[in-house]
Amino acid sequence: MDFLFNWLANIPPFAVPYALAALGLMICEKSGVLNLGAEGFLLVGALAGVGAILSAGASPAAALGIAMLATAALSLLFAVMVIALRVNQVISGLAIVFLAQGLTSLLGRTQGWTSRSFSGMPRIEIPWLSDLPWVGRILFSQDPVFYLTLVLIVFAAWALRNTHVGMRLRSVGENPEAADAAGIPVALYRFGAVVLGAALMGLAGGYLTVVISNIWVDNITGGRGWIVIALVIFARWQPLAALAGAVLFGGIEAVIPRLAATGFWVPQHFLLMLPYLLTLGVMVWSSLARRGRGGGPAALGDPFLREERR
Amino acid sequence: MTEAQDLPGRAAAAPATGRRRGRWPHLALEVRQHMPGPQQALMLGASLVAGIAISTLVLVAAGVPAGNLLDEFVISIFTRPRNLANVLVYTAPLVIVGLAAAVAFRARFWNIGIEGQMIFGAIGATLIANHDIGPEGARLYLMAATAAFAGMVWMLVPALLKLRLEVNEIISTLLLNYVAFNFLLFLLYGPWKDPQSAFPHSKMYDAAERLTRIGFFNVDTSIYLAFALAVGCFLLLVVSRFGFLLNFVHANPKMARAMGVRVAVLVLSAALVSAALAGVAGFVISAGIDNRMTQSFFVGYGFSGILIGFLARNNPVLVVFFAALIAVLMVAGQGLQVFYQIPSSMVLLIQAIIVICAAASEFLIRYRLRLVR
Amino acid sequence: MSQAARSRAPAEAGAPALRMKGITKTFGDFVALDEVDFDLRNGEIHALLGENGAGKSTLMNVVAGLYAPDHGDIEVQGTPVRISGPQDARLLGIGMVHQHYKLVGGFTALENIMLFNPRGSFRQSRTAVRTAAADAADKLGFRVDLDARMDRLSVPEQQRVEIMKILIAGASIIILDEPTAVLTDAEAQKFFAAMRGLAEIGNSVVLVTHRLSEALSYADRITVMRGGRRIRTAHPEEVDADTLTELIVGTRIVEKPAPSEHVGAPVLTVSGLELTDAGGVVRLRGVTLDLHAGEIYCLAGIGGNGQTELVEALTGLVPPDAGRIDLAGHGKVTGLPPDRLRRLGLACIPSDRQGQALAGDLTVAENFAIGGVLAGRFGGALAVRRKPMAEAAAAAVRDFEVMGVRSARQKAGLLSGGNAQKLVIAREFSGAPSVIVAHSPSRGLDVRAAAAVHGHLRAARDRKAAVLLISEDLDEVLLLADRIGVMRSGRIVAEFPGGTDRRTIGRAMVGHD
Repeated sequence: MDFLFNWLANIPPFAVPYALAALGLMICEKSGVLNLGAEGFLLVGALAGVGAILSAGASPAAALGIAMLATAALSLLFAVMVIALRVNQVISGLAIVFLAQGLTSLLGRTQGWTSRSFSGMPRIEIPWLSDLPWVGRILFSQDPVFYLTLVLIVFAAWALRNTHVGMRLRSVGENPEAADAAGIPVALYRFGAVVLGAALMGLAGGYLTVVISNIWVDNITGGRGWIVIALVIFARWQPLAALAGAVLFGGIEAVIPRLAATGFWVPQHFLLMLPYLLTLGVMVWSSLARRGRGGGPAALGDPFLREERR
Repeated sequence: MTEAQDLPGRAAAAPATGRRRGRWPHLALEVRQHMPGPQQALMLGASLVAGIAISTLVLVAAGVPAGNLLDEFVISIFTRPRNLANVLVYTAPLVIVGLAAAVAFRARFWNIGIEGQMIFGAIGATLIANHDIGPEGARLYLMAATAAFAGMVWMLVPALLKLRLEVNEIISTLLLNYVAFNFLLFLLYGPWKDPQSAFPHSKMYDAAERLTRIGFFNVDTSIYLAFALAVGCFLLLVVSRFGFLLNFVHANPKMARAMGVRVAVLVLSAALVSAALAGVAGFVISAGIDNRMTQSFFVGYGFSGILIGFLARNNPVLVVFFAALIAVLMVAGQGLQVFYQIPSSMVLLIQAIIVICAAASEFLIRYRLRLVR
Repeated sequence: MSQAARSRAPAEAGAPALRMKGITKTFGDFVALDEVDFDLRNGEIHALLGENGAGKSTLMNVVAGLYAPDHGDIEVQGTPVRISGPQDARLLGIGMVHQHYKLVGGFTALENIMLFNPRGSFRQSRTAVRTAAADAADKLGFRVDLDARMDRLSVPEQQRVEIMKILIAGASIIILDEPTAVLTDAEAQKFFAAMRGLAEIGNSVVLVTHRLSEALSYADRITVMRGGRRIRTAHPEEVDADTLTELIVGTRIVEKPAPSEHVGAPVLTVSGLELTDAGGVVRLRGVTLDLHAGEIYCLAGIGGNGQTELVEALTGLVPPDAGRIDLAGHGKVTGLPPDRLRRLGLACIPSDRQGQALAGDLTVAENFAIGGVLAGRFGGALAVRRKPMAEAAAAAVRDFEVMGVRSARQKAGLLSGGNAQKLVIAREFSGAPSVIVAHSPSRGLDVRAAAAVHGHLRAARDRKAAVLLISEDLDEVLLLADRIGVMRSGRIVAEFPGGTDRRTIGRAMVGHD
């Protein structure tokens, strides 16, 4: 019973980065820009947060802000490549991942940020509610970003359906020609979606170091960016479904150290494969479940150019 | 119709707005019909120069005196035989992973799992070496064949998932890299750990299980193997019927299918050949450079392979050229590490800068900017 | 919305609503519009006639702000304007319904209209647009379910949403690009009645079409374009169909029917073919037909009635759910893959040239030779032989008069529509096939190229091949057919001998027997 309870109480911090990154990726892809650079954006956010704390003495909250800004800045490069220069979106995304891997590893070492621990963000105990049995510790005794994430997801789910901006964003990803004919600045919307989405991924990355690990090592994101790409497909680009997916992956991640600690007979490295195998399983499941209908933005991955002659 | 009556103001303002915009000269984008080959090569060359220029700035910013760069990257490599030998040592596996990428990309199959297939290749080779399977004279051949086979086995799942269920191969091959890596760690920390060493790597290969040196410093026979594979890939992709049909799969899979090309079979074959090559690359590094299986032998080769395949436009001959270029970069990177304490990740960063510049040049090949007045 | 037009400028009937002078537009080396003048009066329906590629759509895309002209002047209601984007056009009261509708498939009709017509906050907008749309539908006599997803609506319904969309945006200059291409005769009649109603209250309508009869019966004035130039503007009473044809085509090319002299035994026998697509829609409901050696069997019908699926089943791309296909001398061939069928003497000219028949990035030689390579010619499995390939391609290019090929190593994607089609035909006919399936082979081609295609089909027939020609163009059907089948809702609903009159066939096509 204790095992279950500890596990549940630990899911939220593991789920938050998945949820935030999935939301960011989803906003980007809703506009029709395929973003395989997620892993890179997470890395940059993670390192920027560490740098802000270790070198600028920033508070954890400010460090998360800096993580968002740094990632948004890198996303400008990605946006220029895919929107202005219309470079193949697969190549661009991969290039961003490799750039971020090289850059973060290099900066981490040259600035002396690698493997130095620091103190992170405290949890907030919500008065009265956190004293509730069970749910108190699971839901009302978490860090502030957890609550922010819930608000953002619900807001995004609402705004995509019930605001002009949300509707236009979706139209740009579904049918840019139609959006253009309706006077919507397609490139501007895509630019905005890439940058905003990257900022959220930066927040997710920053959370990984500033809130969870409190330390930077190379490639600390460990493929979470790729898992998030699969998660968004699994969630069919719906924010609330992505939240559910994030809880699933957070749950798996939270259970691994606990299982290992109980002296479970499976070797540790096999447990560590779990998130990746689960992701693959989820991809297969999504493919079986959709059978022809993708559920994704119809123009995902297509560059748009008005003068193009067909 | 009356429904438009509620916005007369908007309509009244219209002609003025219509006039105001567009007065300014602006740049318009046009799709080029076609750009001749030599001009395209020139564009790619220019983009490489731009990438190298940016990388130079980064290196100078990181503390390498600008004057010494030429020495590190060109002079020291081509005047000191030991360094040249090192370039050849790295060229061999880079050619092979470059070919692996090129073959897969020809079939529009994004094999991002080269590192995972390299791991399984090395595991296959080490299995043979650890258990001394087969006569000593044939040991190396057996190791190479097992490595190729193991790479293919690791590709089977993502390839079939792609063809059967349209599961995106970029993500599936990449996820399997992490699985393969954890499996490698399991072996190296567990059953295959070298008992005589504190580090997680396998036992040293016996002499019969190591690629022989060709008599030029530490260069081994893998360089011959790499060239032979490049020739093989050239025959496969450019000369054979398979390659001819694969071009159609690449250019227009729908048309290929309508003409009766067995598209799925071709894509599957290309993916498996790609994975077999990656497996052989794993074998080459283990049996040639490290003489055992280490926990990080594969690091960075996946990306380099993709980069080489991309720059070479999936052409096996150009793969050799660009692989040598990247090998120079890697050897120079080691020099930088020793003399200027520049972390090895600088090499990764420079490769990323180059691929971004090369990708950006595609824009100038495909579009034309025009000033509209 | 006529009131809106009047509030912006005093639009007297007959005064010019739109005037274009010296409009020129080039794409690379290709001159799409060459010093075109065009004027449109308030209250008129003005037909813009011409062949595919004459520049009609390009000219109207300039008006709609989608293409920026290289030079030329535009006036709207007497005021010089510069239209540098769709937004400008729309503020000027110009609305265009494109041939391919600019609608978001995953959105409802209401959302599509809202996207185009934001009115205040999202919530206000939703209410206002719903009212406006209901109002507009009422006046036009349309019925549209505003809450249905666009991709679930029929094509005429989608067209109605497009028209409502631009009317609510305040359009008084309404441009319709080939609006009736997707409508049945009855639907088209209703459609024109609605458009006439719009013109009568002061709007102007441009009807871009290649159908003479439409222009003659519904337009107040007709402008003919050819090769990117304006040829003539006239009132319908000043011209007749023959004159118009001559204006459209330039020098006269008249093809005459030439029925087959000898029809032989059945070569391809199809019986009870049934097919349901991946989305669960029944596409073929028991298609049965015989194809004889030395005949052209034309399958007439409005597109989307199962023609594409029939071609896919016949060529082995999709195995049918039920029924069988027999090839004389080879027995049952149902479900064989395309390469096997091709080796048994089946050739196919698909409807989507650049999509299904050619690989644009590869060379003319490769595109020509792939058929031969698959049949085992041009070298073995280990090495294909490029030289014989290039020579054979060069010979075919000469024989089939494929123009614009400088060398066999040129990319096939650089060929114009007609020449690309000739290349496809050259490849498909190179194996002397006994059965030829041709799906809309002359669609999008100019008259000369179409005549060449027809000539090749006739030549094949005279060589005793069996030709199945699937066409939506009744003129083509009447010209070529030795026998005519009519396809509707996945069935062959009627068969007629060649030379049957047009109206009988037309009635069978729309189902008014």
